[in-house]
Amino acid sequence: MKYVLCLLVLIVTACSCNSPSEPPPTTHTAEPADAIDQNLMIALSKAKNFHHKAKVYMSDGNVAAAIASVREILSLQFPAGAPEAEDVRNDARALLAKLLLGQGQLDEAMSVVTEGIAGSQRKSFFVANLYTVKGEIHEARAALVADDKAKATAEKHAAIEAYDASNAIDTELQKQLMESK
Amino acid sequence: MSQNDDNDFLTGPVPEPDAEPTAAERAHAKTFADLVDKTLAGRTPPAMSADDRALLEMATVIRAASGKVSLPEATQRSLVEDALRQAVGGAGAKDVVPITRGRTRRWAPWAIATTSTLVAAAAVIALVVRTPARPAAPGAAAAALPTEWTSRPADSLFGPISHDRAGDASTRIDTIFADRLDGYRERELGRRVK
Repeated sequence: MKYVLCLLVLIVTACSCNSPSEPPPTTHTAEPADAIDQNLMIALSKAKNFHHKAKVYMSDGNVAAAIASVREILSLQFPAGAPEAEDVRNDARALLAKLLLGQGQLDEAMSVVTEGIAGSQRKSFFVANLYTVKGEIHEARAALVADDKAKATAEKHAAIEAYDASNAIDTELQKQLMESK
Repeated sequence: MSQNDDNDFLTGPVPEPDAEPTAAERAHAKTFADLVDKTLAGRTPPAMSADDRALLEMATVIRAASGKVSLPEATQRSLVEDALRQAVGGAGAKDVVPITRGRTRRWAPWAIATTSTLVAAAAVIALVVRTPARPAAPGAAAAALPTEWTSRPADSLFGPISHDRAGDASTRIDTIFADRLDGYRERELGRRVK
Protein backbone atom coordinates (compact mmCIF):
# COMPACT_ATOMS: atom_id res chain seq x y z
CA MET A 1 0.00 0.00 0.00
CA LYS A 2 2.85 2.34 0.87
CA TYR A 3 4.43 1.71 -2.52
CA VAL A 4 1.13 2.33 -4.28
CA LEU A 5 0.85 5.69 -2.52
CA CYS A 6 4.41 6.60 -3.49
CA LEU A 7 3.63 5.69 -7.11
CA LEU A 8 0.54 7.88 -7.00
CA VAL A 9 2.65 10.79 -5.75
CA LEU A 10 5.07 10.31 -8.62
CA ILE A 11 2.27 10.18 -11.20
CA VAL A 12 0.52 13.26 -9.86
CA THR A 13 3.80 15.15 -9.68
CA ALA A 14 4.62 14.15 -13.24
CA CYS A 15 1.21 15.33 -14.38
CA SER A 16 1.82 18.65 -12.66
CA CYS A 17 5.13 19.02 -14.45
CA ASN A 18 3.64 18.16 -17.83
CA SER A 19 0.61 20.41 -17.53
CA PRO A 20 0.47 23.06 -20.22
CA SER A 21 1.98 26.09 -18.69
CA GLU A 22 1.56 29.61 -19.90
CA PRO A 23 3.54 30.40 -23.00
CA PRO A 24 6.57 32.54 -22.45
CA PRO A 25 5.73 36.22 -22.64
CA THR A 26 6.21 37.52 -26.13
CA THR A 27 5.50 40.90 -27.59
CA HIS A 28 2.84 40.93 -30.28
CA THR A 29 1.75 43.84 -32.36
CA ALA A 30 -1.95 44.47 -32.19
CA GLU A 31 -3.90 42.92 -35.05
CA PRO A 32 -7.37 44.41 -34.70
CA ALA A 33 -10.12 42.49 -36.43
CA ASP A 34 -11.30 45.60 -38.28
CA ALA A 35 -7.93 46.66 -39.65
CA ILE A 36 -7.58 46.85 -43.42
CA ASP A 37 -5.82 43.66 -44.38
CA GLN A 38 -4.64 41.87 -47.46
CA ASN A 39 -7.85 39.87 -47.84
CA LEU A 40 -9.94 43.03 -47.97
CA MET A 41 -7.64 44.57 -50.55
CA ILE A 42 -7.77 41.44 -52.69
CA ALA A 43 -11.58 41.39 -52.61
CA LEU A 44 -11.79 45.09 -53.48
CA SER A 45 -9.26 44.61 -56.27
CA LYS A 46 -11.31 41.78 -57.76
CA ALA A 47 -14.51 43.84 -57.57
CA LYS A 48 -12.72 46.72 -59.26
CA ASN A 49 -11.52 44.45 -62.07
CA PHE A 50 -14.98 42.91 -62.60
CA HIS A 51 -16.46 46.42 -62.89
CA HIS A 52 -13.84 47.43 -65.43
CA LYS A 53 -14.37 44.19 -67.31
CA ALA A 54 -18.11 44.90 -67.44
CA LYS A 55 -17.37 48.42 -68.64
CA VAL A 56 -15.28 47.04 -71.49
CA TYR A 57 -18.06 44.62 -72.44
CA MET A 58 -20.60 47.45 -72.35
CA SER A 59 -18.41 49.61 -74.53
CA ASP A 60 -18.39 46.72 -76.95
CA GLY A 61 -22.18 46.35 -76.76
CA ASN A 62 -21.98 42.93 -75.07
CA VAL A 63 -24.44 43.61 -72.27
CA ALA A 64 -24.97 39.94 -71.43
CA ALA A 65 -21.26 39.50 -70.73
CA ALA A 66 -21.28 42.74 -68.76
CA ILE A 67 -24.16 41.43 -66.64
CA ALA A 68 -22.30 38.17 -66.03
CA SER A 69 -19.19 40.08 -64.99
CA VAL A 70 -21.13 42.23 -62.52
CA ARG A 71 -22.81 39.12 -61.09
CA GLU A 72 -19.37 37.78 -60.24
CA ILE A 73 -18.98 40.64 -57.76
CA LEU A 74 -21.95 39.37 -55.75
CA SER A 75 -20.16 36.10 -55.02
CA LEU A 76 -16.80 37.57 -53.99
CA GLN A 77 -15.44 36.51 -50.59
CA PHE A 78 -14.77 39.47 -48.31
CA PRO A 79 -13.33 39.27 -44.78
CA ALA A 80 -16.05 38.50 -42.26
CA GLY A 81 -17.78 41.64 -41.01
CA ALA A 82 -16.10 44.02 -43.44
CA PRO A 83 -18.59 46.90 -44.05
CA GLU A 84 -17.13 47.44 -47.50
CA ALA A 85 -18.52 44.08 -48.61
CA GLU A 86 -22.14 45.21 -48.25
CA ASP A 87 -21.44 48.56 -49.89
CA VAL A 88 -19.65 47.03 -52.88
CA ARG A 89 -22.30 44.36 -53.38
CA ASN A 90 -25.16 46.85 -53.15
CA ASP A 91 -23.45 49.10 -55.68
CA ALA A 92 -22.95 46.13 -58.00
CA ARG A 93 -26.65 45.25 -57.58
CA ALA A 94 -27.61 48.79 -58.54
CA LEU A 95 -25.52 48.55 -61.72
CA LEU A 96 -26.78 45.03 -62.43
CA ALA A 97 -30.41 46.13 -62.04
CA LYS A 98 -29.87 49.03 -64.41
CA LEU A 99 -28.29 46.71 -66.98
CA LEU A 100 -31.22 44.27 -66.63
CA LEU A 101 -33.62 47.20 -66.87
CA GLY A 102 -31.96 48.23 -70.12
CA GLN A 103 -32.49 44.69 -71.36
CA GLY A 104 -36.19 44.85 -70.47
CA GLN A 105 -35.82 42.25 -67.69
CA LEU A 106 -37.83 44.24 -65.19
CA ASP A 107 -38.78 41.42 -62.87
CA GLU A 108 -35.19 40.18 -62.66
CA ALA A 109 -34.03 43.75 -62.06
CA MET A 110 -36.57 44.21 -59.29
CA SER A 111 -35.53 40.93 -57.74
CA VAL A 112 -31.88 42.00 -57.68
CA VAL A 113 -32.77 45.29 -56.01
CA THR A 114 -35.19 43.97 -53.41
CA GLU A 115 -32.77 41.21 -52.41
CA GLY A 116 -30.10 43.85 -51.85
CA ILE A 117 -32.37 46.03 -49.74
CA ALA A 118 -33.62 43.09 -47.68
CA GLY A 119 -30.12 41.74 -47.08
CA SER A 120 -28.60 45.01 -45.91
CA GLN A 121 -27.59 45.21 -42.26
CA ARG A 122 -27.49 49.01 -42.06
CA LYS A 123 -28.63 52.12 -43.85
CA SER A 124 -26.14 53.50 -46.34
CA PHE A 125 -25.95 55.70 -49.41
CA PHE A 126 -25.67 52.46 -51.38
CA VAL A 127 -28.97 51.22 -49.98
CA ALA A 128 -30.49 54.59 -50.81
CA ASN A 129 -29.13 54.15 -54.33
CA LEU A 130 -30.88 50.77 -54.54
CA TYR A 131 -34.18 52.51 -53.65
CA THR A 132 -33.46 54.99 -56.42
CA VAL A 133 -32.98 52.17 -58.94
CA LYS A 134 -36.10 50.50 -57.56
CA GLY A 135 -38.00 53.74 -58.34
CA GLU A 136 -36.66 53.65 -61.87
CA ILE A 137 -37.89 50.06 -62.28
CA HIS A 138 -41.37 51.03 -61.04
CA GLU A 139 -41.36 53.91 -63.51
CA ALA A 140 -40.45 51.51 -66.28
CA ARG A 141 -43.26 49.17 -65.19
CA ALA A 142 -45.69 52.08 -65.15
CA ALA A 143 -44.70 52.88 -68.71
CA LEU A 144 -45.26 49.28 -69.71
CA VAL A 145 -48.78 49.17 -68.27
CA ALA A 146 -49.78 52.65 -69.36
CA ASP A 147 -52.94 51.25 -70.92
CA ASP A 148 -54.02 49.92 -67.54
CA LYS A 149 -54.44 53.17 -65.67
CA ALA A 150 -54.86 51.60 -62.27
CA LYS A 151 -51.71 49.47 -62.58
CA ALA A 152 -49.78 52.37 -63.99
CA THR A 153 -50.86 54.57 -61.12
CA ALA A 154 -49.88 51.91 -58.60
CA GLU A 155 -46.44 51.58 -60.16
CA LYS A 156 -45.98 55.33 -60.15
CA HIS A 157 -46.94 55.48 -56.49
CA ALA A 158 -44.46 52.71 -55.79
CA ALA A 159 -41.80 54.65 -57.66
CA ILE A 160 -42.51 57.76 -55.57
CA GLU A 161 -42.32 55.70 -52.38
CA ALA A 162 -38.97 54.25 -53.45
CA TYR A 163 -37.56 57.70 -54.24
CA ASP A 164 -38.85 59.00 -50.92
CA ALA A 165 -37.22 56.10 -49.11
CA SER A 166 -33.95 56.87 -50.86
CA ASN A 167 -34.16 60.53 -49.92
CA ALA A 168 -35.01 59.72 -46.33
CA ILE A 169 -31.93 57.54 -45.98
CA ASP A 170 -29.74 60.13 -47.66
CA THR A 171 -31.03 62.85 -45.36
CA GLU A 172 -30.51 60.77 -42.24
CA LEU A 173 -27.00 59.69 -43.19
CA GLN A 174 -25.95 63.14 -44.33
CA LYS A 175 -27.11 64.53 -41.01
CA GLN A 176 -25.05 61.93 -39.21
CA LEU A 177 -22.01 62.73 -41.29
CA MET A 178 -22.36 66.46 -40.61
CA GLU A 179 -22.67 65.82 -36.88
CA SER A 180 -19.62 63.58 -36.82
CA LYS A 181 -17.41 66.23 -38.53
CA MET B 1 17.24 -34.95 53.29
CA SER B 2 16.71 -38.53 54.37
CA GLN B 3 18.85 -41.26 52.87
CA ASN B 4 16.06 -43.79 52.12
CA ASP B 5 15.69 -45.74 48.95
CA ASP B 6 13.45 -43.12 47.34
CA ASN B 7 16.33 -40.73 47.17
CA ASP B 8 18.82 -43.23 45.81
CA PHE B 9 18.35 -42.70 42.09
CA LEU B 10 21.40 -44.66 41.05
CA THR B 11 21.35 -47.87 43.16
CA GLY B 12 17.90 -47.98 44.84
CA PRO B 13 15.14 -50.29 43.62
CA VAL B 14 12.83 -48.90 40.98
CA PRO B 15 9.17 -49.22 42.10
CA GLU B 16 6.58 -50.69 39.81
CA PRO B 17 4.63 -48.08 37.77
CA ASP B 18 1.28 -49.16 39.22
CA ALA B 19 2.58 -49.64 42.75
CA GLU B 20 0.93 -47.62 45.52
CA PRO B 21 3.15 -44.78 46.81
CA THR B 22 4.68 -45.47 50.12
CA ALA B 23 4.31 -43.23 53.11
CA ALA B 24 7.92 -42.10 52.67
CA GLU B 25 7.24 -41.19 49.06
CA ARG B 26 4.16 -39.19 50.03
CA ALA B 27 6.13 -37.32 52.68
CA HIS B 28 8.91 -36.62 50.21
CA ALA B 29 6.45 -35.32 47.63
CA LYS B 30 4.80 -33.12 50.23
CA THR B 31 8.13 -31.68 51.27
CA PHE B 32 9.11 -30.99 47.65
CA ALA B 33 5.74 -29.36 46.92
CA ASP B 34 6.25 -27.04 49.86
CA LEU B 35 9.73 -26.27 48.57
CA VAL B 36 8.37 -25.38 45.10
CA ASP B 37 5.64 -23.18 46.59
CA LYS B 38 8.14 -21.31 48.74
CA THR B 39 10.46 -20.79 45.77
CA LEU B 40 7.62 -19.39 43.62
CA ALA B 41 6.64 -17.13 46.50
CA GLY B 42 10.20 -15.80 46.63
CA ARG B 43 11.12 -17.59 49.83
CA THR B 44 13.69 -20.03 48.49
CA PRO B 45 15.39 -21.96 51.36
CA PRO B 46 19.03 -20.96 51.68
CA ALA B 47 20.23 -24.60 51.70
CA MET B 48 18.99 -27.80 50.03
CA SER B 49 20.40 -30.94 48.56
CA ALA B 50 21.79 -30.94 45.03
CA ASP B 51 19.05 -33.32 43.92
CA ASP B 52 16.32 -31.11 45.34
CA ARG B 53 17.93 -28.00 43.72
CA ALA B 54 18.02 -29.75 40.32
CA LEU B 55 14.40 -30.81 40.68
CA LEU B 56 13.39 -27.33 41.82
CA GLU B 57 15.05 -25.66 38.80
CA MET B 58 13.34 -28.15 36.49
CA ALA B 59 9.99 -27.45 38.09
CA THR B 60 10.53 -23.69 37.72
CA VAL B 61 11.44 -24.03 34.03
CA ILE B 62 8.42 -26.24 33.33
CA ARG B 63 6.10 -23.76 35.04
CA ALA B 64 7.55 -20.80 33.16
CA ALA B 65 7.33 -22.67 29.83
CA SER B 66 3.66 -23.39 30.42
CA GLY B 67 3.00 -19.64 30.15
CA LYS B 68 1.67 -19.21 33.61
CA VAL B 69 4.56 -16.96 34.58
CA SER B 70 4.95 -13.56 32.92
CA LEU B 71 7.35 -10.70 33.52
CA PRO B 72 6.17 -7.18 34.23
CA GLU B 73 5.80 -5.07 31.05
CA ALA B 74 8.64 -2.72 31.99
CA THR B 75 10.91 -5.67 32.55
CA GLN B 76 9.92 -7.24 29.24
CA ARG B 77 10.57 -3.97 27.35
CA SER B 78 13.89 -3.55 29.09
CA LEU B 79 14.91 -7.09 28.15
CA VAL B 80 13.91 -6.61 24.47
CA GLU B 81 15.72 -3.30 24.24
CA ASP B 82 18.80 -4.80 25.81
CA ALA B 83 18.68 -7.61 23.30
CA LEU B 84 18.29 -5.18 20.40
CA ARG B 85 21.09 -3.04 21.73
CA GLN B 86 23.35 -6.04 21.83
CA ALA B 87 22.23 -7.05 18.34
CA VAL B 88 23.16 -3.72 16.69
CA GLY B 89 26.44 -3.45 18.51
CA GLY B 90 27.74 -1.40 21.33
CA ALA B 91 28.57 1.78 19.38
CA GLY B 92 25.11 2.28 17.91
CA ALA B 93 23.30 0.96 20.90
CA LYS B 94 22.12 4.42 21.84
CA ASP B 95 20.35 4.75 18.46
CA VAL B 96 18.03 1.85 19.11
CA VAL B 97 14.48 3.13 18.93
CA PRO B 98 12.22 2.20 21.77
CA ILE B 99 9.20 0.11 20.80
CA THR B 100 6.74 2.93 21.51
CA ARG B 101 8.65 5.43 19.35
CA GLY B 102 9.02 2.88 16.57
CA ARG B 103 5.29 2.88 16.12
CA THR B 104 5.41 6.60 15.33
CA ARG B 105 8.28 6.08 12.94
CA ARG B 106 6.29 3.44 11.11
CA TRP B 107 3.57 6.00 10.34
CA ALA B 108 5.97 8.75 9.24
CA PRO B 109 6.36 7.59 5.59
CA TRP B 110 2.61 7.33 5.28
CA ALA B 111 2.12 10.84 6.59
CA ILE B 112 4.81 12.24 4.27
CA ALA B 113 3.40 10.40 1.26
CA THR B 114 -0.13 11.59 2.01
CA THR B 115 0.97 15.18 2.45
CA SER B 116 2.94 15.09 -0.80
CA THR B 117 -0.06 13.68 -2.65
CA LEU B 118 -2.32 16.39 -1.32
CA VAL B 119 0.15 19.13 -2.27
CA ALA B 120 0.57 17.73 -5.78
CA ALA B 121 -3.19 17.37 -6.20
CA ALA B 122 -3.68 20.95 -5.05
CA ALA B 123 -1.10 22.10 -7.59
CA VAL B 124 -2.89 20.25 -10.39
CA ILE B 125 -6.25 21.71 -9.37
CA ALA B 126 -4.74 25.18 -9.23
CA LEU B 127 -3.35 24.73 -12.74
CA VAL B 128 -6.70 23.58 -14.07
CA VAL B 129 -9.04 26.06 -12.42
CA ARG B 130 -6.96 29.18 -12.37
CA THR B 131 -8.14 32.01 -14.62
CA PRO B 132 -5.98 32.25 -17.73
CA ALA B 133 -4.41 35.53 -18.57
CA ARG B 134 -6.70 37.21 -21.02
CA PRO B 135 -5.29 38.77 -24.14
CA ALA B 136 -5.97 42.40 -24.75
CA ALA B 137 -9.45 42.98 -26.05
CA PRO B 138 -9.49 43.58 -29.81
CA GLY B 139 -11.66 46.63 -29.28
CA ALA B 140 -8.99 48.26 -27.16
CA ALA B 141 -6.38 47.79 -29.86
CA ALA B 142 -8.78 48.97 -32.53
CA ALA B 143 -9.47 52.12 -30.57
CA ALA B 144 -5.83 53.08 -30.92
CA LEU B 145 -5.85 52.37 -34.66
CA PRO B 146 -6.32 55.39 -36.96
CA THR B 147 -9.66 55.39 -38.74
CA GLU B 148 -7.92 55.43 -42.12
CA TRP B 149 -6.38 52.04 -41.33
CA THR B 150 -9.66 50.34 -40.50
CA SER B 151 -12.26 48.55 -42.57
CA ARG B 152 -15.37 50.76 -42.43
CA PRO B 153 -18.46 51.86 -44.38
CA ALA B 154 -17.70 53.73 -47.58
CA ASP B 155 -20.49 56.30 -47.19
CA SER B 156 -18.20 59.12 -46.15
CA LEU B 157 -16.32 58.85 -49.46
CA PHE B 158 -19.34 59.75 -51.56
CA GLY B 159 -22.28 61.23 -49.75
CA PRO B 160 -25.68 60.83 -51.39
CA ILE B 161 -25.54 59.21 -54.84
CA SER B 162 -27.37 61.29 -57.39
CA HIS B 163 -29.97 59.80 -59.68
CA ASP B 164 -27.88 60.25 -62.82
CA ARG B 165 -24.88 58.50 -61.15
CA ALA B 166 -26.90 55.55 -59.84
CA GLY B 167 -25.19 53.10 -62.21
CA ASP B 168 -21.70 54.55 -61.91
CA ALA B 169 -20.50 51.80 -59.62
CA SER B 170 -17.27 51.43 -61.57
CA THR B 171 -16.09 54.89 -60.58
CA ARG B 172 -17.11 54.35 -56.97
CA ILE B 173 -15.26 51.06 -56.62
CA ASP B 174 -12.13 52.81 -57.91
CA THR B 175 -12.52 55.41 -55.19
CA ILE B 176 -13.10 52.83 -52.47
CA PHE B 177 -10.14 50.75 -53.58
CA ALA B 178 -7.81 53.75 -53.74
CA ASP B 179 -8.84 54.97 -50.31
CA ARG B 180 -8.42 51.58 -48.65
CA LEU B 181 -5.13 51.00 -50.41
CA ASP B 182 -3.78 54.24 -48.92
CA GLY B 183 -4.76 53.12 -45.44
CA TYR B 184 -3.37 49.64 -45.98
CA ARG B 185 -0.03 50.99 -47.23
CA GLU B 186 0.27 53.46 -44.38
CA ARG B 187 -0.37 50.73 -41.88
CA GLU B 188 2.03 48.27 -43.45
CA LEU B 189 4.78 50.87 -43.85
CA GLY B 190 4.24 52.09 -40.31
CA ARG B 191 4.64 48.55 -38.97
CA ARG B 192 7.84 48.00 -40.97
CA VAL B 193 9.37 51.27 -39.74
CA LYS B 194 8.70 50.20 -36.16
